[in-house]
Amino acid sequence: MKSEPPKRPPLSSATLHILLALAGGNLHGYGIIKEVTRNSDGHYRLGPGTLYDNLKKLMDAGLVADAATTSSSKRKPVSSKEDDRRFYTLTRDGKNALAAEVDRLQSVVREAKLRLQEARTGKA
Amino acid sequence: MNRAFARLAYRLLLSLHPASFQDEFGSEMLWIFDEEYSQGGVAYMFLDGLISVLRQCVRVEKNPGQMSIASGEIITGPGIGAVRFFQAGVTLSLILFSLIRLGGHPSPFNLSVRWSDRVPCYTITLQAPSHAEVVLESTP
Repeated sequence: MKSEPPKRPPLSSATLHILLALAGGNLHGYGIIKEVTRNSDGHYRLGPGTLYDNLKKLMDAGLVADAATTSSSKRKPVSSKEDDRRFYTLTRDGKNALAAEVDRLQSVVREAKLRLQEARTGKA
Repeated sequence: MNRAFARLAYRLLLSLHPASFQDEFGSEMLWIFDEEYSQGGVAYMFLDGLISVLRQCVRVEKNPGQMSIASGEIITGPGIGAVRFFQAGVTLSLILFSLIRLGGHPSPFNLSVRWSDRVPCYTITLQAPSHAEVVLESTP
């Protein structure tokens, strides 16, 4: 019998945004902040304290890793200033966790749409 | 706010984080602060930094070994967060008492500090109007 993977608790919004930002490629800390701001159209602003606090938790959980220590291809730095910056990458577990969270959110949206539709037809 | 002053204030805020966290992310946080400062609007970063300090201290208090294992550092003991808060409280109290003294009011407090195993122990003696004394002493 195939054992089911352990169910993860829902991700916090900061964690979800960080994983989403890293899904596009390896980034350094400031790159993650910029990407999160861009992805949320400026509605979600991540401070460095929140970023690194969550990155530490994600690294301890094995969802994110230091890009330099992984075998995956490292993103080429855009400028020489970025040469000595630490880049972060999404691990296989991180990708799975992100996919699971997206699935969970999709089911929440599906359920919400269904209820709204029921409420509308009930009113009519 | 003056850039140098803002940077110094942020560095002070970073220094309140546990040593292992500072070593791992401190320079990157300061770099982000510099980048954000040049684009304007860093007030939210101070609030974010303060929340981060509280979170880190609570985490170290709850699980003293966790941070040290991750970075290979030794944290001296379980109540490190509490010691930091206590030190901050005593420093603030000292400033307040100094101001009272400068204002010409006789101070009813007497403070002495002794060091025990690199941890400061404070003794505060409060002189009540009836000449009774209340002694508050911290333990290492």
